[in-house]
Amino acid sequence: MNRFVLWWRRYQSTLLVSLLILSAAGVVRATQGAGVADLNHLLVWPFKSDGAAQQRLLDAQSQALQQRVQELETQNRSLKSLLDLPPLPNQKKIAASVISRGSDNWWQQLTLGKGSIDGVRVDAVVVAPGGLVGRVMSVTPKTSRVLLVTDPTSQVGITISRSRQVGILRGRSNRSGVLEFFDKTPDIKKDDVVVTSTLSSRFPAGIAVGRITDVNLDRRPVPQVVVEFSVPLEHVEWVNVLTNG
Amino acid sequence: MAKVLRGRPSTPSFRSPLQRANVLVILGSIFFCALLQPHRIPGMVLLETAPNWLLIWVVTWSVKRSPWQGLTAGLALGLIQDGLTAAQPTHALSLGIAGFLTSSLDKQRFIEEDFISALLLVFVMALVVEVIFAGQLALGGNWIISDLWSHLQRVGLSSAIISSLWTPLLYVPLNRWWDRFNDLMER
Repeated sequence: MNRFVLWWRRYQSTLLVSLLILSAAGVVRATQGAGVADLNHLLVWPFKSDGAAQQRLLDAQSQALQQRVQELETQNRSLKSLLDLPPLPNQKKIAASVISRGSDNWWQQLTLGKGSIDGVRVDAVVVAPGGLVGRVMSVTPKTSRVLLVTDPTSQVGITISRSRQVGILRGRSNRSGVLEFFDKTPDIKKDDVVVTSTLSSRFPAGIAVGRITDVNLDRRPVPQVVVEFSVPLEHVEWVNVLTNG
Repeated sequence: MAKVLRGRPSTPSFRSPLQRANVLVILGSIFFCALLQPHRIPGMVLLETAPNWLLIWVVTWSVKRSPWQGLTAGLALGLIQDGLTAAQPTHALSLGIAGFLTSSLDKQRFIEEDFISALLLVFVMALVVEVIFAGQLALGGNWIISDLWSHLQRVGLSSAIISSLWTPLLYVPLNRWWDRFNDLMER
C-alpha cells in the first residue's frame, strides 16, 4: 500500500498528462480530424487565391456544358428527322474581330473587321459566347457596322423560355433592356431566361439574350420588366456573324 | 487684340504651295479625328466615354475664325459624324451650333489666348453638344425619357472632362501651324 502511494506520488503528473494527451488525440480521432481540417483551412485561406486554377475548373465546366449542348443538338436533329420535321437552318458562322466602337456617346454600335467580301450582309445576326449581340446595319467591303441589342432603337422579339411568354425587348444604352408584353398579366419571374422568339423574323429562334433581373408589374402606366444581357457587350472582342448557307 | 484680328485666315485655296500645305493639314487632321473617334484607347476613356475628337477639332478651328467659318466647319464635321454612326438624328446641328458659338464668343474680354481657354471652351461645348443631341433623341421617341436623362448626365460630364483633357493634343500643333501660316502669308 505504502509502495503504491509512493509510486502514485511519483508518477501522477506524468500519468495525468499522458491521459490528457491520449484523450485529446482520441477526440481528434473520433471527430475524424475535424478541428485539424478547420484550422488548416483557416491557416491556408490567405494564401489560397489561385484564380488560374479556378479559371481552369470553370473552363472545364463550360467545355463539358458545350459538349452536352452539341450532343443534345445532334439528338434533336436526328429526332426531328425521324419525325419528318424541317431541320434547324444550318447556319454558317463568320468569326470577326471588333475593331472599333460607336463614334458618339449615344449610338450603341460596333465595327467588325469583316465585310461584304467575307460574306457579311446587312441584317445578318451577330452573336458572341453568351448569346445575342446585335444586327449588321451596314457593310463596306472589309468592315461591317453592328447595331447592338443595347441600343434603344433595337427591338428584339423574345420568348421567356420557362413560360413561353412572348414579348419585345428594347435596349436602354446600358447593360439592361426593358421588356414589353402583349399580355396584361404576363407569367414572368425573376431569373427567367430570355431567348429570341420563333415569331421574330429578324432573329433566328432560340438564341440566348439574357436573364430577368427585375419585375415590377404594378408600375404605371406600363409594367416594367428589366432584362440583363448575357453578353458583356463592353468587353466583347470577337463575335460570330450568322449567315444562311 | 491685333493678334486675334490677324489670326483670321481667308478660306483655303490652292494658289500657293503654302496654301496647298494648309489644305493638306486641314484635311489630314480631320481624317485623323475621324479615325480616332470610334476607338476606346486605354487611358483615353472615362466611364466608357472617349474624347469627342471631332468636337475638339471644331473648337480648335473656330477659336480664331468668323462665326460663318465656325458654323460651316461644325456642319461639315457633323455630317461626317453622321456617316460614322447613323444619319438620324443628325450630328450636324449640335456641332454646327458649337462651332458658331465658339467663333462668336468675344474672346478678348474674358479668355486668355492659350490652350487653357481652348480647354475650357471644349468643356462647355461638349456639354452643349450632348444636351442638343439628347434633345433631338427625345423628339425622336425611341428613348425612354428617364433613361435619356440619366444617360445624358453620365455621358455629358464624362465627355466634357475627357475631351477637354485631350484638347491640347490637337489644339497646340494646329494652332501653332495656323499662326505660322498666317505669318508667312502676310509676308
